[in-house]
Amino acid sequence: MTELDPSKKVADRYLKREVLGEGTYGVVYKAIDTQTGQTVAIKKIRIGKQKEGVNFTALREIKLLKELNDPNIIELIDCFPHKGNLHLVFEFMETDLEAVIRDRNIFLSPGDIKSYLQMTFKGLAHCHKKWILHRDMKPNNLLIGPNGQLKLADFGLARIFGSPDRRFTHQVFARWYRAPELLFGTKQYGPGVDVWAAACIFAELLLRRPFLQGSSDMDQLGKIFAAFGTPSPSQWSDMVYLPDYVEYQYVPAPPLRSLFPMASEDALDLLSKMFTYDPKERISVQQALEHRYFTCPPPPTDPDKLPRPAPKKEIKESDLNPREGPTVLSPPRKTRRVMPGRDGLEGSSLQGDKVDDTHSNLKQAAGDNIGKSDPAPMSLDFSIFGLKPPNRPTINSADRSHLKRKLDLEFQ
Amino acid sequence: MAANFWTSSHYKHLLDQEDVDMVNPLDKEKGVTLEDFKLIKMHMSNYILKLAQQVKVRQRVVATAVTYMRRVYTRKSMTDYDPRLVAPTCLYLASKAEESTVQARLLVFYIKKLYADDKYRYEIKDILEMEMKILEALDYYLVVFHPYRSLSGFLQDAGLNDLSMTQLTWGLVNDTYKMDLILVHPPHLIALACIYIASVLREKDTTVWYEELRVDMNVIKNISMEILDFYESNRMFTDERINAALHKL
Repeated sequence: MTELDPSKKVADRYLKREVLGEGTYGVVYKAIDTQTGQTVAIKKIRIGKQKEGVNFTALREIKLLKELNDPNIIELIDCFPHKGNLHLVFEFMETDLEAVIRDRNIFLSPGDIKSYLQMTFKGLAHCHKKWILHRDMKPNNLLIGPNGQLKLADFGLARIFGSPDRRFTHQVFARWYRAPELLFGTKQYGPGVDVWAAACIFAELLLRRPFLQGSSDMDQLGKIFAAFGTPSPSQWSDMVYLPDYVEYQYVPAPPLRSLFPMASEDALDLLSKMFTYDPKERISVQQALEHRYFTCPPPPTDPDKLPRPAPKKEIKESDLNPREGPTVLSPPRKTRRVMPGRDGLEGSSLQGDKVDDTHSNLKQAAGDNIGKSDPAPMSLDFSIFGLKPPNRPTINSADRSHLKRKLDLEFQ
Repeated sequence: MAANFWTSSHYKHLLDQEDVDMVNPLDKEKGVTLEDFKLIKMHMSNYILKLAQQVKVRQRVVATAVTYMRRVYTRKSMTDYDPRLVAPTCLYLASKAEESTVQARLLVFYIKKLYADDKYRYEIKDILEMEMKILEALDYYLVVFHPYRSLSGFLQDAGLNDLSMTQLTWGLVNDTYKMDLILVHPPHLIALACIYIASVLREKDTTVWYEELRVDMNVIKNISMEILDFYESNRMFTDERINAALHKL
């Protein structure tokens, strides 16, 4: 690791440490804030050759995070220009919820799940109260700090809603977390899209694997309908008017209980209210927080007592330990998470700063093709098995460029 | 008014008129008076509007750009931050912040078209450099609230949402950006002042409606007076005076 070298001090305040990774719009590195002694993550936004100044996504994130101030939302501590590049300083986060969900050494009690969910919902409720849609809710954007606090991060897709009749792009969210109205191409949507994604995260915490793993947008809808039944017009009257609406073959809904055998009645009730098809009928995140699931026992676990993946270094050592992986015993249902024949996925998390889409893609490419071993911490080394966990689709580059075009052109 | 205005950075950063009217010492040294200061800011608001009409962005982007420009000059001098560069850069930044990105090269193209004067000539790299400086001057606060949204709600509520009233009040709100009102007053009060002026002008009786709103009518009337004063003095703002003021820099 880099020694504390005063020459690495940026903006007379931050002592640069090791690089954490490559984000959508630049390098992220760890640093010490000499004013507070706090460890921080600094995102350096490349500007240099780009002819369009400060990156649009970065600017969005700055704009919205400056308005959001909540214990469950990542804090933008500082911004500063340095050598022609803009730097964003965030609080340093140890890990993220995806790493927790995927770590097979971790057992999540119902109280633990409740606690992680409550923090997620609180952060989201704060966004919605300020008329901000997150639009990219997924476990790997939910970062976990040293004290166990969960915080929403990556506001690069977020935007302000509430101006009537504004049209937005439907190409938001990683596919597995996309609400049915988005998959049907709606351009006028509201906080319900975040609620749907939050419900997917809820389900993922219960199942310890992504709940609805569609391989395409069509397939995603198929997976949704297989889980909850094909919606009837009486359930969702506006559905047939949505731009990309297509009729799906009727499938009846299996009992929700059969999908979540271990969940409590309260949890099932809340899940069904969040997974309501008609966005107008879907429960709001504030109402979800007031649901009896959160007040009935067991109480949510205290954040600093929540199970988290072991710190980075120990993991690296244990990766080398052949006893680790294979001897792990886990409930049979969890093994479904490990599926052969998928593309490799590295770094469930670059611990510390959020890993955004491009980033994980980049890392995958680096890890798989070049074999450049950037030590992304993992709880389990899947290469031992020759198996790989399912590849999470993120917004792919086609979506991204589509999105960017839309954002540039559509919102005149 | 959107419920979140009261928790916004915009609300927290509202200023007193005296603070807005402080001419930076550096500019003062060059002989810039308060009146020059106001004239230049008005001229630059017009410049932003003209450019915006060329590149075709929403009124909201113009309003945000003008607000950025006015905020910059509560903290920075015109000597260090040339208004002729700050104005287009604010439009550039506002277009991004309001999700209607305009390319820097388009702006540069229209700047050349609008002003033959070399002093207005700036290239893409100048705009991009200034963008960073403006972000810093704004302390990275970019969300701005405007009177437009509350305006249509109020008009509807007062039953005044006919075409003529809508156009008149909308135009009045546009004109308030030639002044510093947006830095001093919450946007919904500016909207109410514009409705007040329009209703007096069109002889609509809104007394009861204003009473029911339970807003401080004195504030509304004061803002209205400021707007009317501005229209009164506007006639004397000739190009010569603006150029003379700019020449001091």
